[in-house]
Amino acid sequence: MAKGFTLWFTGLPGSGKSTLAERVRDILLERGMKVEVLDGDEVRKNLSKGLGYSKEDRDTNIRRIGWVCHLLTRNDLVAISAAISPYKEIRDENRELIGRFVEVYCKCDIDTLRGRDPKGLYEKALKGEIKNFTGVSDPYEPPEKPEVVVDTAREDIDTCVQRIVGTLEQLAYIPAGDGRGYSDDEEEGIKQRLKDLGYI
Amino acid sequence: MLFFRGRKKRRVCVVGLDGVPYGLLRRLAGESVMPRAAAIIGNGGLRRMRASLPPVSSVSWSCFMTGANPAEHGIFGFTDVLADTYQLWFPSFRDLAVPTFWDRLGKKRRRSCVVNQPATYPAREIPGALVSGFVALQLEKSVWPREHLPALQRMGYRIGVSTQKARDHPDGLLDDLDATLKARREAAGYFWERESWDYFQVVVTGTDRLHHFLWNAVDDAGDARHDRAMAYYRAVDDLIGDLWDKFHRGRSVDQEGEGFMLLSDHGFTRLQQDVRLNSWLRENGYLSYEKEDPTSVADISPQTRAFALDPGRVHINMRGRFSQGCVDPEDAPALRQELAERLGQLAYEGRPVIARVFTREEAFHGPRIALAADLVLISRDGFDLKGTTREQEVFGASRFQGMHTWDDAFLCTSLPVPDNPSISEPAGAILEWLSG
Repeated sequence: MAKGFTLWFTGLPGSGKSTLAERVRDILLERGMKVEVLDGDEVRKNLSKGLGYSKEDRDTNIRRIGWVCHLLTRNDLVAISAAISPYKEIRDENRELIGRFVEVYCKCDIDTLRGRDPKGLYEKALKGEIKNFTGVSDPYEPPEKPEVVVDTAREDIDTCVQRIVGTLEQLAYIPAGDGRGYSDDEEEGIKQRLKDLGYI
Repeated sequence: MLFFRGRKKRRVCVVGLDGVPYGLLRRLAGESVMPRAAAIIGNGGLRRMRASLPPVSSVSWSCFMTGANPAEHGIFGFTDVLADTYQLWFPSFRDLAVPTFWDRLGKKRRRSCVVNQPATYPAREIPGALVSGFVALQLEKSVWPREHLPALQRMGYRIGVSTQKARDHPDGLLDDLDATLKARREAAGYFWERESWDYFQVVVTGTDRLHHFLWNAVDDAGDARHDRAMAYYRAVDDLIGDLWDKFHRGRSVDQEGEGFMLLSDHGFTRLQQDVRLNSWLRENGYLSYEKEDPTSVADISPQTRAFALDPGRVHINMRGRFSQGCVDPEDAPALRQELAERLGQLAYEGRPVIARVFTREEAFHGPRIALAADLVLISRDGFDLKGTTREQEVFGASRFQGMHTWDDAFLCTSLPVPDNPSISEPAGAILEWLSG
């Protein structure tokens, strides 16, 4: 039975893709899974070094990430992609290639993103100092039917992570909880409650 | 002048009363302890309802919230046994194998708001809001979405009463029940106003705790704490009335009662004797232990042919099903028949103990049927079936006053449900009503 799958984050720059990818990765590692994160910024430093931000180059970048995810998934690993991946057509291409593909749309309104903007990129893009900046001077096509939508402008990180992990559990891509519902400490608490009512 | 008064969007409000039997509800309504419930019952639609097999809250409420059978939703009890080690494990909301009807309503863009639902811990996302009930441990993991947590903390919301000292401190339990119900009511009011919902549900679980520890106070007018028990029921009735009034605000008279539902997940009765099924199995040569003082079924010997889990689930230790199974699969049907007959004749001081014996196929249907007990026993009133391994004697005194019953839960609704319903059936009626 296949165990691998790809968790594909998509969203505007600064929408929380990398942060959520790392949090989900940590949970999956704790549950004994083998996980690789392909972060958009990191990929551009090696696998896609030299590619620019034209539509053609962006498509090539996302197809390369998709190909690596495909190989990892095929070999029963969990691949997590955290790249903007702005074009629906290429994401859908990767979905078809990979099969076990869970798309997470990190939704966030532009005002919140401008407010965050830790590197000042939105400000520069809005002044025209950065060209081809997704969401400002380059298009972003939101997914139509993602498996998960997290609204990072309104929901805290824990809530978003819980929803993503919950979806993976519902899809039976990962076992529920620790495989038996409760942690050891929780199990002691449950036992006590059941003893109090005479169930054990 | 109104030419047309449009009907309001369909909504449903459910008040769950954990462990309240049909007969008790009728009695309290008739005695004016619960006048608001009496008025609702007076509109018609009250009937007996069968609880799950076995009749415990985790299974029954899982049936209610999914509309499914245990062999479909995968929750067979508060406890279950691992096939490899025989250790007990404790199914959680994460182990529920099928969607709740709240999830299904979400696909139709209908939102549910559910407060104190047993068997939903740890809370997960539902389309709406959820506060987990028993066996919830931490409030932080009992609330979805998390944004409601600070408000619940501020109002001093309680998941449930403390039952550790309940037997020795009955007045403390009654105080705790009152305070918990008050907090529950406040939380219900908060969610009613704050959440946008099509389906609203509150479960009162204090009724079950009251019955476990102080059934005599409920059932016996001469009991020293009867007045306090009735005062608790009056407060429950106030909550029902409050929700009824809110639900009908702005509705036309012809819509009265539409979508309002009362129900319980199992019945209750006076407990007279504990019946320890593992002790009977050992006395009759079906079970042995590897330890002098066994603490759980993990201590049974490989020669054991059958063992029991709470409250009346008998498993055959079959090869292929359990790691140390010693019963050949071809011998299992005959053994099951033998156990069904012998246990069915179990008697205490000449009185029969067992009311019904269900085989796995009679009790369950669904893809997880192989995980179900081979037999599920339903006892006669007064005999509480136990899966303990710690007691030598088959019969013994209990530390509780009340015990669960199977066939006298209740349902009161105007929605169309089949005659003689089981607790799996309201879900379909709710879904259909809210889809209309």
